[in-house]
Parts: sequence; C-alpha cells; structure tokens
Amino acid sequence: MRKYLNIFKTSLRQESKTITNALTSAVSFIVIIYIFKQLWQFIYGGQGGGTLINGYTLEMMIWYMIMAEIFMYSVNSRGVTRAFSNDIKSGKIAYQLNKPYNYYFYQVSSTLGECIWKLVFLLPTALLIGLLLLGPIENFNLLYLLPLGVSLLLGVLLTCTIYGAVGLLAFWIEESTPFAWIIQKFQMLFGLFFPPEFFPVWLQPVINYSPVYAMMSGPCKLLANFSWDLFQNVIISQVIWTAVFVGLGLLIYKLGSRKVNVNGG
Amino acid sequence: MGVKSNLKLIFSYFKLNLKKEWKYKSSFFMQIIMMILNDAFFIIQWYIIFSLVDNIGGYGFNETMMLWAISAGGYGISHAFFAGAWNLKEVIYEGRMDVFLAQPKNVLINVCCSSTQIAAIGDIAYAYIVLVLIGAPWHWYLIMIPAMILAGLIYVAVYVTYMSLCFYVKGGDALAKSVEGTINKAAQYPSAIYSFGVKALMFTLIPTFFYSFIPIQYFFLTPNIWWILGSVAVTAFWIFLAFFTFNRGLRKYNSGSLMGGRL
Repeated sequence: MRKYLNIFKTSLRQESKTITNALTSAVSFIVIIYIFKQLWQFIYGGQGGGTLINGYTLEMMIWYMIMAEIFMYSVNSRGVTRAFSNDIKSGKIAYQLNKPYNYYFYQVSSTLGECIWKLVFLLPTALLIGLLLLGPIENFNLLYLLPLGVSLLLGVLLTCTIYGAVGLLAFWIEESTPFAWIIQKFQMLFGLFFPPEFFPVWLQPVINYSPVYAMMSGPCKLLANFSWDLFQNVIISQVIWTAVFVGLGLLIYKLGSRKVNVNGG
Repeated sequence: MGVKSNLKLIFSYFKLNLKKEWKYKSSFFMQIIMMILNDAFFIIQWYIIFSLVDNIGGYGFNETMMLWAISAGGYGISHAFFAGAWNLKEVIYEGRMDVFLAQPKNVLINVCCSSTQIAAIGDIAYAYIVLVLIGAPWHWYLIMIPAMILAGLIYVAVYVTYMSLCFYVKGGDALAKSVEGTINKAAQYPSAIYSFGVKALMFTLIPTFFYSFIPIQYFFLTPNIWWILGSVAVTAFWIFLAFFTFNRGLRKYNSGSLMGGRL
C-alpha cells in the first residue's frame, strides 16, 4: 500500500510543476457552468422563481451540475484510458511487468495524483462561481463538507478504476479509447446533464444501482440536497462499485499480461 | 496557382494519413463508428430538454440538432485534414519543427496536415446522419459541405492563432485550449441563452457564432447572402491571422537539433 501512496505523491508533485493545465481546466470549467446556468435559467423560465422541475429548483440543479463538472474536470477519463492503452500498444508495458508493483494499481495511483492536483484548483473555482451565480445552497451546513469530500474522493477513485479497466482492453484490441468515449457519454447523460429523477420512472432504479450513480449522480445529489440517509446510500454504492471495478481491473490485467508474454512483449 | 498546389498538398497528406491508419482496419472502423455513437448520445440529452420546454429562443429540436451537425462537421473537417495543428505545442516546445522547415511547401500547412484523426470522419458522417434524422430538404445536403468546411477552417485557424503564443512564452497553450474549449462547448447551445456581452465576445475574440450559429441560421434556416459572404470574409480573416501569427512566431523558434525524418 505504501508504494502506491508514494507513486501517488510523486505524481502529485510532478503535476504541481505544471500549473497551466490546471488553470486551463478552471477557465473551461467556468465557461461550461455559465452555459449550463444560462440554459437551465431559460428552461426554468427567467430566474427560476422557486419553480420545481422533478423536485429540483434552478439553484439545486446548477449546484448538482457544478459537482458533476468537478468530477468531469478532475478526472481526464479519456486520458486515463489512453495512458493504459498507449503503454500497451507501444510495448512499454513490458518494462512495467517485472517491477515490484501491480501495473493497474500503479497507473490508478498515478492518475489519482493528477486528479487531486486539479481538485486543488477546481474546488475553490467551483465554490466561487457557484456562490457568485447562485448564492449559498439552501439548508447547507458546513458539517456536510466532510462527508461530501469523502464521497468526492471515492467517486474520483471509482472513475479512475473504471476507465483504467477500459484502458486494459487494449491487450486485445488496438485502440480502447473509443470505449471510453461511450462510457463517458453514459456518465454524462445519466449523471451530468440530468439527475436520475429526470428519467422515466422505470429507468430510475437502473440508474440508482448503476456505477454512474456511484461515480456521479449520487455525490452530486448530496451537494444539491444533502441528507445523511442519502450519504449512506451513496457511500455503500461507491464502496461496492469500487471493489467490483478494482476486481475487474485486476482480472483483465492478469489475463491481458499473459497475452503480452505470449507475444514476447 | 499557390492555392491549387496547397489544396493538392492538403489532399495528398490526407490520403497518406488515411493509408497509414488503414493498416489497422478494425481500429479504423471502430473509431469512426464509436464517434458516431458518441455524438448521437446528445440526441437523448436534447430530447429530454425539449420535453421540458417547446423551444429555446426559437430553436426547437431540429434546429438544435443542426447546431450539433455543424459543430460535429466542422470539428470533423478540422481534425480529419488539419489534426497536426493539435501537435503544435509539442512541435514548438520540443524543437521538432526542423523537419517541417526543411520541406519546400508552406510550414504551417505541412504541420497542420501532418496527421489525421480517423474518428473525425465519424463526426463528418454524423453531420449527414442528423440531416437524415430531421428529414432535411435535399439541398441542405449540398449546403452542408461549404458550411462544414468554413466551420472547420475557422476552428483550426483560431486554434493556430492563439497557439502561436507558444513561440513566445512557456505554457502558451493555455489560452488556445481555453478558447478552443469555449468554442466547442458554446457552439452546441442555442445563441438565445447568451447575454449581450458574451455574444459580442463570440462574434469577435472567440468567434463561436461563425462556427455554428451563423451557418445554421443564414446558410440553412433563413438563407442570407450577406451573412454568407460575411462568414467567408471572417473565416478568411482568421486564416490570414493564423498564418501571420504563426510566421511571426516562427522567427522566435529555437531548433531542438532533433534528428528526424518523415516517410
């Protein structure tokens, strides 16, 4: 465990030298939140005026999206898959196989370092733009910050494990990033653009038990409308799905690395 | 003469890049199909939004889908023919321009055309899929070609213009990436949602309106020759600016003395 913590720290230190990417992300983040705010303001009809759509006020909706965009911007999901995919395609993976660490965990730890560095910029930006555009969240207590932080970190970890597992598919196919595009679209459609309540009733349980809920809609709902019951559900979902995808990633890696041996690296 | 020879160069590069990618046939087709699916996901997003409101500033489902068609098509053209522009940062900072400088053709065109993103073909195809989906009249299929080309050209020209900052400062790509990200995202939403100040910005420094809104409105919905000519002029201006800023920046370029060859 300690070696992965060191890999995480090294990645974090390395990332902290490149401030430009984090700043670019922050600017882009502001732009997209502005667009969403304008769009939903139009849909809610002017300033919203307390109108509820599927149980959400305009303010709740935008805070939901702010949290969702924090996830989208902190984890460069396509980049995670591409990192795995490139190592496998270029044969660089052969040099990683004999190292005293598990390559899958190595990449996930390294990616987590990058994500945390981005969060350092994204969280204050998100808070500032949210407060400027919408004002404080109704009934929000500062005590909620800790559980929200835990859920955010678990969501980021889960996202890295999922896209990492997808990247490992490059052992069998030449290019695995197109799969990441599709998964990302599921994540956006069922997590980012709309809370689960916006979908047909028959689809809502499917979303609520899916990884998209654990990696995005669950934590986003926590920010928009916190409750301890919801927190408990989200955390359980996040822990279970993280365990599932870590297991799946390890399995794919084990099967895939055998294939490298067969091909001679 | 110059235009003809440069066009020939652009198509020759495209053909060569395609041949290179064709080596991995399954990956070639998978990237195109996955990109079409990727773009198609947004149909569901807008379907849900238009179940909540009838229109957004006069734009209904079909008009919004056209915004997506043009954006995807323009992005597709820029990344199918000029994907090398997105390597400019590395080419400049790592001193990898030498190999392009040694060639007899225009340096910027050489760099931009040096690679092709196969998935971009899926974006171009998606523009036509949208036309089929919304039951567009036959002449829209023809108009889509110049509309996509103009959108693609202005997209790559704006990116190169801002990216030329890399010749002068470290981390000069940040502005280009931010502008590109803004154009990409803002172009996909009806213009009515933006305030006056933002609209002014989107007509000038971040010319999003010439990338998607003006083509939709004045090439397709309410054709207007003056807006079309204006759109061509603005695109030509940005192309000129891209060449100008790139060539000025090139004077500051430092070679990395990197040995390299291109086949």
